[in-house]
Amino acid sequence: MIITGKHIPRRHFIRGLGAAIALPMLDSMTPPAFSQAAKTAARKAPPLRMSYFYVPNGIVMSNWTPAAEGADFELPSILKPLAPFRDQSTIISGLINHQANALGDGGGDHARAGASFLTGSHPKKTGGTDLFAGISADQIAAEQIGQTTRLPSLELGLDDNRVVGHCDSGYSCAYTNSIAWRGPSTPLPPETNPRLLFERLFGDFDPSVSAETRARRANYRKSILDSTREETNRLLGQVGPADRHKIDEYLTTIRDLEKRIEQADASQPVAMPDFDKPSGIPSDFSEHARLMYDLQVLAFQADITRVATMVVGREGSVRTYEQIGVADPHHPLSHHQNRAESLEKLTKINTYHMELFAHFLNRLRTTKDGDGTLLDHSMIVYGCGISDSNRHTHENLPVLVAGGGNGTLKGGRHVRVAENTPITNLYLGLLDRMDVRAEKLGDSTGKLEI
Amino acid sequence: MSGISGANGAVAPAVQPKETPSQLAVREAEFAKIVQPFIADTCMECHDSGTRKGKLNLEPLSDFHSVERDRPKWEAIYDKLRHGEMPPKEEARPDAAQLRSVTKWLLGQFDRQDAAAPPYIGRAAPRRLNRSEYNNTVRDLLGVTFMPADDFPPDNSGYGFDNNGDVLSLSPLLTEKYLKAAEKVARTAVFGVQPMKPTSYTHQPWYIDFDTTKAVKQVYDETGLSLPYALHVMHRFPVDGDYDLTGFVRGFKPVGADPSRVAFWIDGKQIQEVSVPIGPGGEMNGLHDTIRTRVSAGDHWMAVSLVKIYERLPVAYGAPNPNESTQRVGKSPTEHFINNLIVTGPFDQKKGPTPESLQKLYRGAPPVGKVSPARAREIVSDLAHRAYRRPVSKEEVDSLVKLVDRVQQDGESFEEGLALTLTRILISPNFLFRIEKDPPAGVPVAALSQHELATRLSYFLWSSMPDDELLRLANDKKLEQPGVIDTQVRRMLKDPKAFALVENFGGQWLQFRALESHTVERKAFQHFTEYTKMSMQRETEKFIEHIIREDRSVLDFVEADYTFLNQRLAEYYGIPGVEGTDFRKVTLPAETSRRGVLTHASVLTVSSYSNRTSPVLRGKFILENILNSAPPPPPGDVPSLEDKEIGSTKTMREQLEAHRAQPVCASCHVRMDPLGFGLENFDAVGRWREVIGKLPVDSSGELPDGRTFNGPLELTSIIKTDKMDFVECISDKLLTYALGRGLTPSDRSAVRKISAQLPAAEYRFSSLVLGIVNTPQFRLRAPAVPKT
Repeated sequence: MIITGKHIPRRHFIRGLGAAIALPMLDSMTPPAFSQAAKTAARKAPPLRMSYFYVPNGIVMSNWTPAAEGADFELPSILKPLAPFRDQSTIISGLINHQANALGDGGGDHARAGASFLTGSHPKKTGGTDLFAGISADQIAAEQIGQTTRLPSLELGLDDNRVVGHCDSGYSCAYTNSIAWRGPSTPLPPETNPRLLFERLFGDFDPSVSAETRARRANYRKSILDSTREETNRLLGQVGPADRHKIDEYLTTIRDLEKRIEQADASQPVAMPDFDKPSGIPSDFSEHARLMYDLQVLAFQADITRVATMVVGREGSVRTYEQIGVADPHHPLSHHQNRAESLEKLTKINTYHMELFAHFLNRLRTTKDGDGTLLDHSMIVYGCGISDSNRHTHENLPVLVAGGGNGTLKGGRHVRVAENTPITNLYLGLLDRMDVRAEKLGDSTGKLEI
Repeated sequence: MSGISGANGAVAPAVQPKETPSQLAVREAEFAKIVQPFIADTCMECHDSGTRKGKLNLEPLSDFHSVERDRPKWEAIYDKLRHGEMPPKEEARPDAAQLRSVTKWLLGQFDRQDAAAPPYIGRAAPRRLNRSEYNNTVRDLLGVTFMPADDFPPDNSGYGFDNNGDVLSLSPLLTEKYLKAAEKVARTAVFGVQPMKPTSYTHQPWYIDFDTTKAVKQVYDETGLSLPYALHVMHRFPVDGDYDLTGFVRGFKPVGADPSRVAFWIDGKQIQEVSVPIGPGGEMNGLHDTIRTRVSAGDHWMAVSLVKIYERLPVAYGAPNPNESTQRVGKSPTEHFINNLIVTGPFDQKKGPTPESLQKLYRGAPPVGKVSPARAREIVSDLAHRAYRRPVSKEEVDSLVKLVDRVQQDGESFEEGLALTLTRILISPNFLFRIEKDPPAGVPVAALSQHELATRLSYFLWSSMPDDELLRLANDKKLEQPGVIDTQVRRMLKDPKAFALVENFGGQWLQFRALESHTVERKAFQHFTEYTKMSMQRETEKFIEHIIREDRSVLDFVEADYTFLNQRLAEYYGIPGVEGTDFRKVTLPAETSRRGVLTHASVLTVSSYSNRTSPVLRGKFILENILNSAPPPPPGDVPSLEDKEIGSTKTMREQLEAHRAQPVCASCHVRMDPLGFGLENFDAVGRWREVIGKLPVDSSGELPDGRTFNGPLELTSIIKTDKMDFVECISDKLLTYALGRGLTPSDRSAVRKISAQLPAAEYRFSSLVLGIVNTPQFRLRAPAVPKT
């Protein structure tokens, strides 16, 4: 019986390995201590990171869009949490996501908004047999620069993905669950569990195994992957033609995994950070969000990846936010019919999400990276594929870009782009800064300079 | 089953001869006499080439041959007529007898067409194991129970189920996790669970408010379990071992009261009771105590409760069994609750492989000393045979045995070699995918191989691999001998593994899987605690399990006058006489309006919003999942209801009626809404209510065909009258689940055939399953044209 007074520990983790060493998931080498890895990283020019945050169900635009353009504007209520990062943020008004419109497909704006946000492609209306959207902006980057890091990209989310049936008017749940698409038919499901994310980033290290045994097991692993690839290849010739694409999908991912293991062997080993290993998904949403955001920062810091997406909520989300006094499920509430009370509640949700995002920016800014901070060396897009949720409009989207972009992004501004500028133009401009070659992305019409 | 020859042979499905010219002439005359005049009189006013209401022109459908030529359109007409959706309400009702003869003739003609056509088979893509199947398969293959697939990314679902071959895609992340899981599963089977460092997880109630009522109760649940002050959670224990359970109290107790009695429960059994004294001023915040107990690996229901919360209070409270304190009435006796449960462990973890794993690996005594090459080969080949669910070739075994040798040559043990070989087996596409071979070139259709059939059966009924008996029957080519499948299906349905059907089929069909992540407005529904939610799910699971295990009539789903309750749920439903945490079969009193699954709190809750009921959602639920007539998705830009007005000035009914006045909405809502209104006496968490806000509940409705009802019981009896709609619905859903693909219009005749056999079999669940297992869809395989 211990009396601890009023304080109840919010988290009560047993310390894991602490600052001791650990291994990347599929690696076998003993890494140096963290500080040494950091020193090595510091000698090179700091890499540029790119991340996309997606918030669902539109934004109350009257509380988002600054009245004035240029540098001299006042932050509206939803953007207030951004104040400390104002000089490294650009609010962009006027972008459109035309591919989210019905274009003859009827209902389903939410599914289309999510699936087209980073792809600029009009998703095929289907309950699942023949998913089709397009490659997403982050995956173009992952494809071209992903081989420089241990993981080409990270797909993260905060929404429980266990969903039943269709998610929106005859659209497969894949369209609302994933904003990252590796190819037109390959949505990448986000990782939502901080424990699994941690293990993926920093490994599941068993200290009782000797370095020699570990090295031998790594070799075994390579050889069984190799023979599985051969077996899968043989199987491809034995199944009917209509079945081949499924088996081929497996073959592709095995090749992919083999490549990544080689990459991991060649790249700088990652050290275990001084960070408690999470034990699961916290029941508190803020805590869950902060944990996932912190882990993304760690992944950037240790240069495990340079590309990430974060689905703060999937389109059509019915999450309730009682912790901020909004008991209504988000999606029905978002059909606000311009009623003051609904708009006020929605503004609360939008602001709450922004506060959590500000936490992320703060972590980036307080993390040293080379000659500056992680925030200096990042480009973070935050936005939604719907502006007014009541009417499901896909014009004049709420979008902002935070981070210094290695000196290429000038913050502290509110810019309005030319009418009908696709949001994909913005992405092409950002990809350019990362030296990722892409002339076209979905419905893009050029590169947007901001 | 007629027309399907034995194993491996090419098959000549029984096709009835086409009708003779003279028979056809009779049909044509019938069409001219029965159908044509009806359509001309009833439909053509709106659906001629000029008016084309709803873009439907019926003129091309005026000849007899159109029934075959334009079959999908005629099926749609048949549906609209049968459900009374057409002609619309404003128009005069057609003569009932005439209408019946038209639908009867159409159905008969569809059946004749189908009988004369080669059976439709359709096909599903090769299916990878979904998460639940993966977990069950490694459990049955290796005795490994830590459910590794729970760490995999979620499976997408298609056509309502997450075993749909087309949508079960692969991502690089999944393949990475396959490798990681394979390593962990293999090592766990061979060496036991890896020693784990203790970790902690904190559970918090989803919400609780201070209950400051001073009134005390003389009669109440003394265990505290069903009171809102208890904390109930499901916790996954990774391994057998000792665990610390720490319960935290929050709030205040009356000054002068005896210490709180805090009880720890696992799976409904009390483990230990501890005494937590009260702090100064009655404060309980942060007071906690820890017990240590041994728990087995897996999911367990944990609870921490406040026992006898109204006892040993100061006399002044007037509560039962007071103490001697002379304190005046101060704080409420219920102003405290269990705020956290922290589970920390494992300590003293069990080491080494489990007896189950040893048995599965070695099928006998585990090896001692050096393992002969012959024995090694035997072990590996048996494992591969079961893992691939088919005979394995010499080459396959050779390459696997080589791995064992290689590891041993590196100086490691046989077990290390076996673990690597197992890892290799577990990432083989032959393990991860259920692969079926196409018939040889030029053969249009063939029976599945014996092993493919055994595999379909076991994943259908168990969501897992075939067991030894099924594999043996397949090896001996006996599975398709007369009566064998029937015996096997009945055996499998009695097996505890058939619970997979409850969880995976039932949970998705009736959508109670969604309960776990369902939240409600906490201020409005304070009694909707985790325990309530868990009890709701358990009720429906127990109910379905009962129907399967006892081979009850499937009509029980819609009309049963019994259900399964524990004390929590019984109190929730207002049914007296049920005490304790155990679920038991309870006959529903005549005066309650609960009958069948539609009135289970689980179904009523998942078909509601978090803050209110929705007759539309519930109506849609009934149409989709009970009456087999899913409405098309709504058009975009649909405004939602004015929540605040419900129950104050405008009722939901008034609002929805306004909505139905718009023709674009009316066509579907005229069917959906009335059905949903029939359940309006149940609130958004399934409790009975007589008023909504200030207004009395109106649960009456009128269906498009003019039938009216008032209240859930009368709604149930209408569904009972239309029972073949329900029977077709459950056949449709279960066939979808069994085949792992969406059904096409060409599958409709199979669904009708399965359904038609049920009345003669007293609608027994097993006869439904057998009907499905005996369809050409389930038994045959045809090559498909590759996707272009």
